[in-house]
Amino acid sequence: MKIKKLLFVTKFEELCYDALNSLLALRGAALEHVVFLNVIERDKVAMKRGSGYLKEEEVKLKETANIRFIDWAENLFEMGLEVGAYMEVSTLIPEILKVVKKESPDLIVIGRSHKGPLEHLYAGSDVIELIRRTDIPTLVFKHMKDDNIVPEKLFERPLFATNWSETGKKTVEYIKGLKEVIGEIHIIHVVKESALKSSDTHEVQKVRKTERKKLDNLCDELEEAGVNARPHVYVGEPQKEIEKAAKEYQATMVILGSSEKAAILERWMGSISKNIADNSIYPCLLIPGDKTV
Amino acid sequence: MSKKVLVVDDDPDVRSFVVTVLEENEYIPLVAQDGVEGFEVIQKDPPDLVILDVLMPRGSGIRLYRKLRTDKKFNKIPIIMFTGIAQRSFLKSQKALDEFKGGEVPKPDIYLEKPVEPEELAEAVKKKLG
Repeated sequence: MKIKKLLFVTKFEELCYDALNSLLALRGAALEHVVFLNVIERDKVAMKRGSGYLKEEEVKLKETANIRFIDWAENLFEMGLEVGAYMEVSTLIPEILKVVKKESPDLIVIGRSHKGPLEHLYAGSDVIELIRRTDIPTLVFKHMKDDNIVPEKLFERPLFATNWSETGKKTVEYIKGLKEVIGEIHIIHVVKESALKSSDTHEVQKVRKTERKKLDNLCDELEEAGVNARPHVYVGEPQKEIEKAAKEYQATMVILGSSEKAAILERWMGSISKNIADNSIYPCLLIPGDKTV
Repeated sequence: MSKKVLVVDDDPDVRSFVVTVLEENEYIPLVAQDGVEGFEVIQKDPPDLVILDVLMPRGSGIRLYRKLRTDKKFNKIPIIMFTGIAQRSFLKSQKALDEFKGGEVPKPDIYLEKPVEPEELAEAVKKKLG
Protein backbone atom coordinates (compact mmCIF):
# COMPACT_ATOMS: atom_id res chain seq x y z
CA MET A 1 0.00 0.00 0.00
CA LYS A 2 1.36 3.41 -1.02
CA ILE A 3 0.94 6.70 0.81
CA LYS A 4 -0.25 9.07 -1.91
CA LYS A 5 -2.29 11.42 0.21
CA LEU A 6 -1.83 12.40 3.84
CA LEU A 7 -4.08 14.32 6.18
CA PHE A 8 -2.12 16.58 8.53
CA VAL A 9 -4.22 17.53 11.56
CA THR A 10 -2.77 20.40 13.56
CA LYS A 11 -3.62 22.89 16.27
CA PHE A 12 -0.19 24.46 15.55
CA GLU A 13 0.89 24.30 19.18
CA GLU A 14 1.63 20.56 19.04
CA LEU A 15 2.43 19.91 15.40
CA CYS A 16 4.31 22.30 13.17
CA TYR A 17 6.22 22.57 9.94
CA ASP A 18 9.18 20.54 11.19
CA ALA A 19 6.86 17.54 11.61
CA LEU A 20 5.43 18.11 8.16
CA ASN A 21 8.89 18.52 6.73
CA SER A 22 9.99 15.19 8.19
CA LEU A 23 7.16 13.52 6.26
CA LEU A 24 8.22 14.90 2.93
CA ALA A 25 10.59 11.97 2.45
CA LEU A 26 7.39 10.18 1.44
CA ARG A 27 7.61 12.03 -1.86
CA GLY A 28 10.30 9.49 -2.69
CA ALA A 29 7.68 6.77 -2.25
CA ALA A 30 4.42 8.02 -3.68
CA LEU A 31 3.25 11.13 -1.82
CA GLU A 32 1.42 13.56 -4.11
CA HIS A 33 -1.09 15.35 -1.96
CA VAL A 34 -1.14 16.89 1.54
CA VAL A 35 -4.38 18.03 3.18
CA PHE A 36 -4.23 20.32 6.22
CA LEU A 37 -6.92 20.34 8.85
CA ASN A 38 -7.20 22.82 11.69
CA VAL A 39 -10.10 22.25 14.05
CA ILE A 40 -11.00 25.18 16.27
CA GLU A 41 -12.64 23.66 19.33
CA ARG A 42 -16.14 25.02 19.82
CA ASP A 43 -15.46 26.23 23.36
CA LYS A 44 -12.97 28.77 21.99
CA VAL A 45 -15.73 30.64 20.16
CA ALA A 46 -18.79 29.44 22.06
CA MET A 47 -21.52 31.65 23.37
CA LYS A 48 -20.42 33.38 26.56
CA ARG A 49 -22.70 35.17 28.99
CA GLY A 50 -22.84 38.83 28.05
CA SER A 51 -20.81 38.52 24.83
CA GLY A 52 -22.74 36.01 22.67
CA TYR A 53 -21.11 33.93 19.95
CA LEU A 54 -17.53 35.11 19.47
CA LYS A 55 -17.65 35.68 15.72
CA GLU A 56 -14.65 37.99 15.77
CA GLU A 57 -12.64 35.34 17.61
CA GLU A 58 -13.66 32.75 15.02
CA VAL A 59 -12.55 35.00 12.17
CA LYS A 60 -9.27 35.72 13.95
CA LEU A 61 -8.53 32.04 14.62
CA LYS A 62 -9.46 30.97 11.09
CA GLU A 63 -7.36 33.69 9.50
CA THR A 64 -4.41 32.87 11.74
CA ALA A 65 -4.66 29.24 10.61
CA ASN A 66 -5.07 30.33 7.02
CA ILE A 67 -1.89 32.43 7.13
CA ARG A 68 0.09 29.48 8.55
CA PHE A 69 -1.37 27.08 5.99
CA ILE A 70 -0.63 29.44 3.10
CA ASP A 71 2.99 29.63 4.19
CA TRP A 72 3.28 25.84 4.48
CA ALA A 73 1.34 25.29 1.26
CA GLU A 74 3.65 27.58 -0.70
CA ASN A 75 6.60 25.40 0.31
CA LEU A 76 4.80 22.24 -0.70
CA PHE A 77 3.44 23.66 -3.95
CA GLU A 78 6.97 24.68 -4.90
CA MET A 79 7.96 21.01 -4.54
CA GLY A 80 5.22 20.06 -6.98
CA LEU A 81 2.85 18.64 -4.36
CA GLU A 82 -0.91 19.07 -4.28
CA VAL A 83 -2.21 20.84 -1.17
CA GLY A 84 -5.64 21.36 0.32
CA ALA A 85 -6.79 22.92 3.58
CA TYR A 86 -9.75 22.87 5.96
CA MET A 87 -10.29 25.22 8.89
CA GLU A 88 -13.43 24.40 10.85
CA VAL A 89 -15.06 25.23 14.14
CA SER A 90 -16.04 21.78 15.28
CA THR A 91 -15.16 18.82 17.50
CA LEU A 92 -11.85 17.18 16.67
CA ILE A 93 -12.58 13.52 15.99
CA PRO A 94 -15.93 13.91 14.15
CA GLU A 95 -14.34 16.61 11.98
CA ILE A 96 -11.35 14.41 11.16
CA LEU A 97 -13.72 11.61 10.18
CA LYS A 98 -15.72 13.98 7.99
CA VAL A 99 -12.57 15.11 6.15
CA VAL A 100 -11.35 11.50 5.87
CA LYS A 101 -14.61 10.67 4.10
CA LYS A 102 -14.20 13.57 1.66
CA GLU A 103 -10.48 13.15 0.98
CA SER A 104 -9.74 9.42 1.48
CA PRO A 105 -6.17 9.88 2.77
CA ASP A 106 -3.73 6.97 3.11
CA LEU A 107 -2.27 8.34 6.36
CA ILE A 108 -3.51 10.61 9.13
CA VAL A 109 -0.90 12.61 11.04
CA ILE A 110 -1.93 13.99 14.42
CA GLY A 111 -0.28 15.42 17.53
CA ARG A 112 -0.77 13.75 20.87
CA SER A 113 -3.81 15.07 22.71
CA HIS A 114 -3.53 17.32 25.73
CA LYS A 115 -6.25 15.77 27.83
CA GLY A 116 -5.50 15.43 31.50
CA PRO A 117 -5.32 12.06 33.25
CA LEU A 118 -8.92 12.22 34.48
CA GLU A 119 -10.32 13.09 31.07
CA HIS A 120 -8.25 10.24 29.63
CA LEU A 121 -9.73 7.84 32.13
CA TYR A 122 -13.32 8.67 31.28
CA ALA A 123 -13.12 9.66 27.64
CA GLY A 124 -10.01 7.88 26.35
CA SER A 125 -7.43 9.76 24.30
CA ASP A 126 -8.29 11.45 21.01
CA VAL A 127 -5.76 9.22 19.29
CA ILE A 128 -7.31 5.98 20.46
CA GLU A 129 -10.77 7.33 19.72
CA LEU A 130 -9.57 8.05 16.20
CA ILE A 131 -7.98 4.62 15.76
CA ARG A 132 -11.18 3.00 17.00
CA ARG A 133 -13.27 4.86 14.44
CA THR A 134 -11.11 4.73 11.33
CA ASP A 135 -9.15 2.08 9.49
CA ILE A 136 -6.67 4.63 8.13
CA PRO A 137 -3.12 4.30 9.55
CA THR A 138 -2.35 7.11 11.97
CA LEU A 139 0.99 8.67 12.81
CA VAL A 140 1.09 10.23 16.27
CA PHE A 141 3.61 12.96 16.93
CA LYS A 142 4.54 14.02 20.42
CA HIS A 143 3.97 17.36 22.01
CA MET A 144 6.82 19.60 20.98
CA LYS A 145 9.29 20.29 23.72
CA ASP A 146 12.79 21.68 23.59
CA ASP A 147 14.22 18.23 24.17
CA ASN A 148 11.92 16.48 21.72
CA ILE A 149 12.97 17.54 18.27
CA VAL A 150 11.27 15.83 15.36
CA PRO A 151 13.78 13.60 13.54
CA GLU A 152 14.65 15.00 10.17
CA LYS A 153 14.61 11.57 8.56
CA LEU A 154 11.51 10.05 10.07
CA PHE A 155 11.60 6.86 8.01
CA GLU A 156 15.35 6.27 8.24
CA ARG A 157 15.27 3.72 11.10
CA PRO A 158 11.74 2.73 12.15
CA LEU A 159 11.22 0.10 14.78
CA PHE A 160 8.35 -2.30 14.14
CA ALA A 161 7.07 -4.17 17.19
CA THR A 162 5.15 -7.28 16.21
CA ASN A 163 3.04 -9.65 18.29
CA TRP A 164 2.29 -11.86 15.26
CA SER A 165 -1.35 -10.74 15.10
CA GLU A 166 -3.48 -10.31 11.97
CA THR A 167 -2.95 -6.55 12.34
CA GLY A 168 0.78 -7.24 12.25
CA LYS A 169 0.38 -8.84 8.81
CA LYS A 170 -1.46 -5.77 7.56
CA THR A 171 1.33 -3.63 8.99
CA VAL A 172 3.94 -5.65 7.08
CA GLU A 173 2.12 -4.91 3.82
CA TYR A 174 2.07 -1.22 4.73
CA ILE A 175 5.80 -1.27 5.47
CA LYS A 176 6.48 -2.82 2.05
CA GLY A 177 4.80 0.23 0.50
CA LEU A 178 7.41 2.42 2.20
CA LYS A 179 10.42 0.59 0.73
CA GLU A 180 11.69 3.68 -1.10
CA VAL A 181 11.98 5.73 2.09
CA ILE A 182 12.95 3.25 4.81
CA GLY A 183 16.69 3.09 5.43
CA GLU A 184 16.65 0.03 7.68
CA ILE A 185 13.81 -1.29 9.78
CA HIS A 186 14.38 -2.98 13.14
CA ILE A 187 11.78 -5.62 13.93
CA ILE A 188 11.27 -6.58 17.53
CA HIS A 189 9.19 -9.24 19.23
CA VAL A 190 8.95 -9.05 23.00
CA VAL A 191 8.64 -12.37 24.81
CA LYS A 192 6.81 -11.92 28.07
CA GLU A 193 8.74 -13.15 31.08
CA SER A 194 5.86 -15.48 31.93
CA ALA A 195 6.60 -17.45 28.74
CA LEU A 196 10.09 -18.21 30.07
CA LYS A 197 9.02 -19.69 33.39
CA SER A 198 10.90 -22.93 33.18
CA SER A 199 13.81 -24.21 35.18
CA ASP A 200 15.06 -25.89 32.04
CA THR A 201 17.52 -23.63 30.15
CA HIS A 202 16.92 -25.68 27.03
CA GLU A 203 13.19 -24.81 27.07
CA VAL A 204 13.91 -21.13 27.55
CA GLN A 205 16.38 -21.15 24.65
CA LYS A 206 13.80 -22.96 22.52
CA VAL A 207 11.35 -20.07 22.98
CA ARG A 208 13.98 -17.60 21.89
CA LYS A 209 14.97 -19.72 18.90
CA THR A 210 11.36 -20.11 17.73
CA GLU A 211 10.67 -16.38 17.92
CA ARG A 212 13.97 -15.54 16.28
CA LYS A 213 13.18 -17.93 13.41
CA LYS A 214 9.83 -16.22 12.86
CA LEU A 215 11.54 -12.83 12.87
CA ASP A 216 14.15 -14.07 10.39
CA ASN A 217 11.40 -15.20 8.05
CA LEU A 218 9.71 -11.83 8.34
CA CYS A 219 12.99 -10.04 7.63
CA ASP A 220 13.52 -12.25 4.57
CA GLU A 221 10.02 -11.41 3.35
CA LEU A 222 10.69 -7.69 3.74
CA GLU A 223 14.12 -7.87 2.15
CA GLU A 224 12.61 -9.66 -0.83
CA ALA A 225 10.25 -6.70 -1.11
CA GLY A 226 13.21 -4.30 -1.01
CA VAL A 227 13.21 -3.25 2.67
CA ASN A 228 16.38 -3.74 4.74
CA ALA A 229 15.37 -5.38 8.02
CA ARG A 230 17.05 -6.57 11.22
CA PRO A 231 15.42 -8.87 13.78
CA HIS A 232 15.59 -8.59 17.58
CA VAL A 233 14.11 -10.69 20.38
CA TYR A 234 13.58 -8.93 23.70
CA VAL A 235 12.27 -10.29 26.96
CA GLY A 236 10.17 -8.46 29.53
CA GLU A 237 7.28 -6.07 29.76
CA PRO A 238 6.42 -5.15 26.13
CA GLN A 239 5.98 -1.40 26.51
CA LYS A 240 9.22 -0.98 28.40
CA GLU A 241 11.18 -3.25 26.05
CA ILE A 242 9.87 -1.56 22.92
CA GLU A 243 10.98 1.81 24.30
CA LYS A 244 14.34 0.30 25.25
CA ALA A 245 14.87 -1.17 21.77
CA ALA A 246 13.86 2.10 20.14
CA LYS A 247 16.49 3.86 22.21
CA GLU A 248 19.20 1.24 21.62
CA TYR A 249 18.76 1.29 17.86
CA GLN A 250 18.15 5.05 17.70
CA ALA A 251 14.77 4.51 16.11
CA THR A 252 13.24 7.42 14.26
CA MET A 253 9.70 6.14 14.87
CA VAL A 254 7.84 3.17 16.31
CA ILE A 255 5.39 1.20 14.16
CA LEU A 256 2.62 -0.79 15.85
CA GLY A 257 -0.50 -2.65 14.84
CA SER A 258 -3.61 -1.73 16.78
CA SER A 259 -6.60 -4.07 16.85
CA GLU A 260 -10.15 -2.87 17.37
CA LYS A 261 -10.45 -5.20 20.32
CA ALA A 262 -7.44 -3.59 21.92
CA ALA A 263 -8.87 -0.15 21.27
CA ILE A 264 -12.08 -1.03 23.10
CA LEU A 265 -10.30 -2.74 25.95
CA GLU A 266 -7.77 0.02 26.42
CA ARG A 267 -10.32 2.42 27.77
CA TRP A 268 -10.54 0.20 30.81
CA MET A 269 -7.33 -1.75 30.89
CA GLY A 270 -4.74 0.08 28.85
CA SER A 271 -3.10 -1.44 25.77
CA ILE A 272 0.47 -1.49 24.56
CA SER A 273 -0.31 0.54 21.44
CA LYS A 274 -2.22 3.13 23.42
CA ASN A 275 0.39 3.41 26.12
CA ILE A 276 3.20 3.77 23.63
CA ALA A 277 1.24 6.24 21.49
CA ASP A 278 0.44 8.29 24.58
CA ASN A 279 3.72 8.08 26.47
CA SER A 280 6.61 7.28 24.15
CA ILE A 281 9.00 10.01 23.17
CA TYR A 282 9.04 8.53 19.65
CA PRO A 283 6.57 9.31 16.88
CA CYS A 284 4.25 6.28 16.58
CA LEU A 285 2.67 4.92 13.44
CA LEU A 286 -0.44 2.94 14.39
CA ILE A 287 -1.94 0.60 11.82
CA PRO A 288 -5.51 -0.30 12.73
CA GLY A 289 -6.85 -3.76 11.99
CA ASP A 290 -9.78 -4.39 9.66
CA LYS A 291 -12.94 -3.32 11.38
CA THR A 292 -14.56 -6.69 10.65
CA VAL A 293 -11.84 -8.67 12.47
CA MET B 1 -25.34 38.54 -24.38
CA SER B 2 -23.79 38.54 -20.89
CA LYS B 3 -20.74 36.38 -20.43
CA LYS B 4 -20.46 33.63 -17.84
CA VAL B 5 -17.70 33.66 -15.24
CA LEU B 6 -17.02 30.69 -12.98
CA VAL B 7 -15.69 31.44 -9.48
CA VAL B 8 -13.92 28.50 -7.83
CA ASP B 9 -13.14 29.22 -4.18
CA ASP B 10 -13.72 27.33 -0.92
CA ASP B 11 -14.28 30.50 1.11
CA PRO B 12 -17.95 31.55 1.00
CA ASP B 13 -17.05 35.17 1.81
CA VAL B 14 -14.70 35.32 -1.17
CA ARG B 15 -17.29 33.70 -3.46
CA SER B 16 -19.83 36.23 -2.32
CA PHE B 17 -17.41 39.14 -2.90
CA VAL B 18 -16.55 37.97 -6.44
CA VAL B 19 -20.19 37.25 -7.33
CA THR B 20 -21.16 40.78 -6.26
CA VAL B 21 -18.39 42.32 -8.37
CA LEU B 22 -19.43 40.20 -11.38
CA GLU B 23 -23.12 41.02 -11.06
CA GLU B 24 -22.39 44.72 -10.68
CA ASN B 25 -20.50 44.52 -13.97
CA GLU B 26 -23.25 42.53 -15.71
CA TYR B 27 -21.57 39.20 -15.96
CA ILE B 28 -23.31 35.94 -15.09
CA PRO B 29 -21.57 34.28 -12.12
CA LEU B 30 -21.31 30.53 -11.73
CA VAL B 31 -19.85 29.15 -8.48
CA ALA B 32 -17.99 26.07 -7.26
CA GLN B 33 -16.37 25.47 -3.90
CA ASP B 34 -13.41 23.28 -4.89
CA GLY B 35 -11.47 22.01 -7.88
CA VAL B 36 -13.53 18.88 -8.32
CA GLU B 37 -16.83 20.75 -8.33
CA GLY B 38 -15.28 23.42 -10.52
CA PHE B 39 -14.44 20.92 -13.26
CA GLU B 40 -17.93 19.45 -13.08
CA VAL B 41 -19.44 22.90 -13.66
CA ILE B 42 -17.06 23.57 -16.56
CA GLN B 43 -18.00 20.29 -18.23
CA LYS B 44 -21.71 20.95 -17.85
CA ASP B 45 -21.74 24.63 -18.68
CA PRO B 46 -18.41 25.92 -20.04
CA PRO B 47 -17.85 29.51 -18.85
CA ASP B 48 -16.15 32.34 -20.75
CA LEU B 49 -13.68 32.91 -17.89
CA VAL B 50 -12.60 31.13 -14.71
CA ILE B 51 -11.57 32.91 -11.50
CA LEU B 52 -9.62 30.31 -9.60
CA ASP B 53 -8.34 29.99 -6.03
CA VAL B 54 -5.32 27.73 -5.39
CA LEU B 55 -5.46 26.37 -1.83
CA MET B 56 -8.72 24.42 -1.62
CA PRO B 57 -9.85 21.05 -0.33
CA ARG B 58 -10.67 18.19 -2.75
CA GLY B 59 -8.50 19.12 -5.69
CA SER B 60 -6.54 22.34 -5.52
CA GLY B 61 -6.59 25.16 -8.04
CA ILE B 62 -3.23 23.94 -9.30
CA ARG B 63 -4.69 20.62 -10.35
CA LEU B 64 -7.69 22.26 -12.01
CA TYR B 65 -5.48 24.85 -13.70
CA ARG B 66 -3.28 22.18 -15.26
CA LYS B 67 -6.27 20.07 -16.19
CA LEU B 68 -7.85 22.96 -18.06
CA ARG B 69 -4.64 24.04 -19.73
CA THR B 70 -3.93 20.55 -21.06
CA ASP B 71 -7.51 19.75 -22.11
CA LYS B 72 -8.12 20.52 -25.80
CA LYS B 73 -11.79 21.26 -25.12
CA PHE B 74 -11.13 23.84 -22.40
CA ASN B 75 -7.61 25.17 -22.93
CA LYS B 76 -8.83 28.38 -24.54
CA ILE B 77 -10.87 29.45 -21.50
CA PRO B 78 -8.98 32.34 -19.89
CA ILE B 79 -8.09 31.92 -16.24
CA ILE B 80 -7.56 34.55 -13.56
CA MET B 81 -5.77 33.10 -10.55
CA PHE B 82 -7.18 34.73 -7.42
CA THR B 83 -5.43 33.47 -4.34
CA GLY B 84 -3.45 34.08 -1.16
CA ILE B 85 -0.61 31.94 -2.53
CA ALA B 86 2.19 34.11 -3.83
CA GLN B 87 2.68 34.15 -7.61
CA ARG B 88 6.32 33.23 -7.14
CA SER B 89 5.34 29.98 -5.38
CA PHE B 90 2.68 29.23 -7.99
CA LEU B 91 5.17 29.62 -10.83
CA LYS B 92 7.70 27.44 -9.01
CA SER B 93 5.03 24.77 -8.54
CA GLN B 94 4.33 24.84 -12.28
CA LYS B 95 8.00 24.47 -13.04
CA ALA B 96 8.31 21.52 -10.64
CA LEU B 97 5.25 19.85 -12.15
CA ASP B 98 6.43 20.52 -15.71
CA GLU B 99 9.71 18.78 -14.89
CA PHE B 100 8.00 15.91 -13.09
CA LYS B 101 5.19 15.31 -15.56
CA GLY B 102 6.90 16.48 -18.73
CA GLY B 103 5.63 19.23 -21.02
CA GLU B 104 5.13 22.87 -20.27
CA VAL B 105 1.90 24.44 -19.14
CA PRO B 106 1.51 28.15 -20.02
CA LYS B 107 1.37 30.80 -17.32
CA PRO B 108 -2.03 32.07 -16.16
CA ASP B 109 -3.55 35.01 -18.03
CA ILE B 110 -3.76 37.14 -14.89
CA TYR B 111 -2.56 36.50 -11.35
CA LEU B 112 -4.19 38.42 -8.50
CA GLU B 113 -3.00 38.01 -4.93
CA LYS B 114 -5.74 38.36 -2.30
CA PRO B 115 -7.02 40.68 -1.09
CA VAL B 116 -7.89 43.00 -3.97
CA GLU B 117 -10.23 45.94 -4.31
CA PRO B 118 -13.45 45.36 -6.28
CA GLU B 119 -12.26 47.75 -9.01
CA GLU B 120 -9.05 45.78 -9.52
CA LEU B 121 -10.96 42.52 -9.91
CA ALA B 122 -13.53 44.09 -12.25
CA GLU B 123 -10.75 45.56 -14.36
CA ALA B 124 -9.01 42.18 -14.65
CA VAL B 125 -12.24 40.52 -15.77
CA LYS B 126 -12.93 43.28 -18.30
CA LYS B 127 -9.42 42.95 -19.65
CA LYS B 128 -10.12 39.33 -20.57
CA LEU B 129 -13.77 39.56 -21.57
CA GLY B 130 -14.34 43.14 -22.56
